Amino acid sequence: MTLHPSLWELFSTWLLMGIQSFGGGSSTLIMIHEACQKHGWLDDEEFVRLWALVQIAPGINLVKFTLLIGRKLRGWPGLAAAGAGLLLPSALVTVLMTAGFTIVQSQPLVQAAMRGVLPAAIGLTLAMGVQMAQPLMTRAYHEGPPRLAVHLLILAAAALLMAVNGVSPVVVMLGAGAAAVLLLAVIQARRVPPQPDEDESSLSGDDL
Amino acid sequence: MNPLQFFWLFLKASLFSFGGLGNLPFLHSDLIGLGWAHESDFVTAIAVGQVSPGPTGLWSISLGYLTYGWLGAVLALVALSLPPLLILVVSAFYQRIEHNSQVQDFVRGLALGIVGLTVTVALNLASSSIFDWGGVVIALAALALAVTRKLPIILILVLAAAAGLLLYGR
Repeated sequence: MTLHPSLWELFSTWLLMGIQSFGGGSSTLIMIHEACQKHGWLDDEEFVRLWALVQIAPGINLVKFTLLIGRKLRGWPGLAAAGAGLLLPSALVTVLMTAGFTIVQSQPLVQAAMRGVLPAAIGLTLAMGVQMAQPLMTRAYHEGPPRLAVHLLILAAAALLMAVNGVSPVVVMLGAGAAAVLLLAVIQARRVPPQPDEDESSLSGDDL
Repeated sequence: MNPLQFFWLFLKASLFSFGGLGNLPFLHSDLIGLGWAHESDFVTAIAVGQVSPGPTGLWSISLGYLTYGWLGAVLALVALSLPPLLILVVSAFYQRIEHNSQVQDFVRGLALGIVGLTVTVALNLASSSIFDWGGVVIALAALALAVTRKLPIILILVLAAAAGLLLYGR
C-alpha cells in the first residue's frame, strides 16, 4: 500500500502520539499501530517486520520505528517530519518539567514527595530490566536447560562485572555478545544435528 | 565541562543502547567518573523521564539539563536522535542477516548484557535515593506493580509521591 500522507500529517500524527504518552512510551506503539491501520500506511505483517527489525539497531526503539515508517511513506522529508513530531515537543516538555522541578526542589513538601518518587524510579528501572529479560528468558527456556543456563550466566556475569570498579560498560556489552555467539554455537552443535527450525518471529512486546 | 566531550559521551551511550534506559550504564560510568553529575541527577532524570511524554528514552535529555543546562539538553537530544538513523543501514542489510543465527545470538548477548548492566546501575543508584525501609518498600512495590503491569507507570509515580508525603511530610 503506498499512500502519500502530507508531511504535515506525518508531523502532527506523531506529535499527538508523542505528547499523549505521558508516563513513558508503552502506549505509543499501540497508537502507532492504530494510526497505521486507520490511514492504511502499513499492513500488519509489515508492521511486525519493521518492529522486529528495530530491535537490532542501536537507540530508542520508538524513534527508530518512527524514522522507518516516516521514510517508507515520504522518503527523507517524511523521516524528518515524523521524527521531529515524536521528539521535539516531548523533549521540550521533558526539559520544562525538569526545569520546573529544579525550581521547587528545595520545598519541604516536594522533598518529601521525592523521597517516595525516587525509590519508585529505582523500582521502575529494575522493572524495565525484568521486562527486557522476560522474552529472552522465555525463549531460552523453550530451547532447553543448557541454553537457559548460558543466558543466565551471561546476565549474571554482566551484572557482576559492572559492579567491579572501572570496568567499561562497552567492554561488558561486547563481551556479552561474543560470549553468546560462542557458547550458544557450542550448545546448538551438541543438541540437534542440522535442522533449520529457527522461525518463531521475534515479535515480543519487548520494551520501548 | 567540554561541550564536545559531553556530546560524545551522550552519543556513545546512545550508540551502545537498545531501548529506553539502555544508555544509563554508559552515562552513569562516564559522567560520575568525570564528576560531571551526581547520583541524584540520574535518579531525578529517570523519574522525570518516566512522567514526561514521549519515549522513556528521553530521560537523558532531563539528565543533560540537570548537568549542563539548556545546552546540555540540546546536546542530549541531538545525541539520541542520530544513532537511530543506523536503522536505515540495518534495514538495507536485513534480508542477508535476518536468518544468520550468529547475528541473532550476538544481539541476544547484547540484550542480556544490557539487562545485567541495568540491574547493577539501579542498585548503585539506590544508595543515593533509598535511605530507610520505607524507601525499600516503595521501590519493591513500584517494581512489582510495573512488572505485573497492574497500573500505568504514571499512577505508580503518583502513588509513590503520596507515600513520600505521608511518610516524610512535615
